[in-house]
Amino acid sequence: MSTPPPYSGNPATSLLVDLVTNTLDPGYAEAAARRAERPGSPQRWYDRPVLALGCLLVGFVLVIAYLHTNRAAPAAARITSDLAGRVRSAQATAAALGRTADGLDATVKQQRNAALSGAGGLSAALSAEELAAGAVAVTGPGVVVTLTDPPTPTASAAGGRAGTTPLSATHILTDRDVRSVVNELWSDGAEAISVNNIRLTSTSAIRFAGQAVLVDFEPIIGPYQIRAIGDSGSLITRFVQSAVASRYQTLTSADGIGFTFSESSKLNLPASEAPDLRYATAPSSTAPRPTTAVPTPTPTR
Amino acid sequence: MIAALALALGVLAGVLLHPTVPTWMEPYLPIAVVAALDAVFGGVRARLDGIFVAKVFVVSFVSNIVVAALIVFLGDKLGVGGQLSTAVVVVLGIRIFGNAAAIRRHLFRA
Repeated sequence: MSTPPPYSGNPATSLLVDLVTNTLDPGYAEAAARRAERPGSPQRWYDRPVLALGCLLVGFVLVIAYLHTNRAAPAAARITSDLAGRVRSAQATAAALGRTADGLDATVKQQRNAALSGAGGLSAALSAEELAAGAVAVTGPGVVVTLTDPPTPTASAAGGRAGTTPLSATHILTDRDVRSVVNELWSDGAEAISVNNIRLTSTSAIRFAGQAVLVDFEPIIGPYQIRAIGDSGSLITRFVQSAVASRYQTLTSADGIGFTFSESSKLNLPASEAPDLRYATAPSSTAPRPTTAVPTPTPTR
Repeated sequence: MIAALALALGVLAGVLLHPTVPTWMEPYLPIAVVAALDAVFGGVRARLDGIFVAKVFVVSFVSNIVVAALIVFLGDKLGVGGQLSTAVVVVLGIRIFGNAAAIRRHLFRA
């Protein structure tokens, strides 16, 4: 082994040089020197067992570390992929069930139309009600309003780690913005509205949960495209003059959000998902009926 | 020969016994691994240099692990745990590299 070059200078640097040049444990050289002094007995009796023990320990430590690392890491990965798989399969199941429901719905409509074909006005009344309730897909002229989050993340003056932008800075549009536009369009005379191709009905809710806008509990992401069917001429005129439109025009220049609206001669809006029907029922006869039962004073004691 | 046999036996023992590492030992495991690798590379190089001594090999291995664990333990107690672990890994890593280079010179004469 070559001796390291004598180095004079900064002790810290010489330490580093020593570290890089003298990589072998000095014990080996010393032991070799000692052996050279005493040429007899080149091997001790304990050399072999000690060597075996050392190698045993090395193998043991390495394999324990390997097992430990690989037992811990795949467990986390397995849980993640397991959960993702369950979510995906649940989504697939939901989509399949939705398709089945749509198919059954179509069958029901077909049967009903066949049954009502002789009833005259009933069928027309029913289809008018369905139109108003958003139960059927509709088409017609209307207005398209698009709200877009700022294209580039605004520089974050707020907290958070360097190099990251809080979600609230990139997604400044919330449910309130979508809702105000939708409400304005309703009041301007829209007959049917969809947000990102989800049809709104009289029971629809536009909510905000976990940085996502939920329309009827379905999360949607920007750009938010609100399509409204109605008398497109008067609809757009009233919308332009509304306070909501002027507010978003102002925000366009201030916050960098995108706000565009245009007239369209033909819009196709999907049907809403079949709503859960809730019926009011008369209480059963065993229950006290306030109209007939006269409250009889009961002796308290 | 006996070394390879013992190494295989150690690996087998680890696989068969399947010991669970206690939580308090977890931070020392990576350090122990690096110390073990350092001892192995140092031993192989000494063997090629013709100055291998079994006692030095085992003592250096065990003391490497103990000292490295001690440094990490002290660092944990004094609030510089991660940094001291890095220091141990860097120093032992440099030694491993140097020894690996020496082994390469021995084997390939290059």
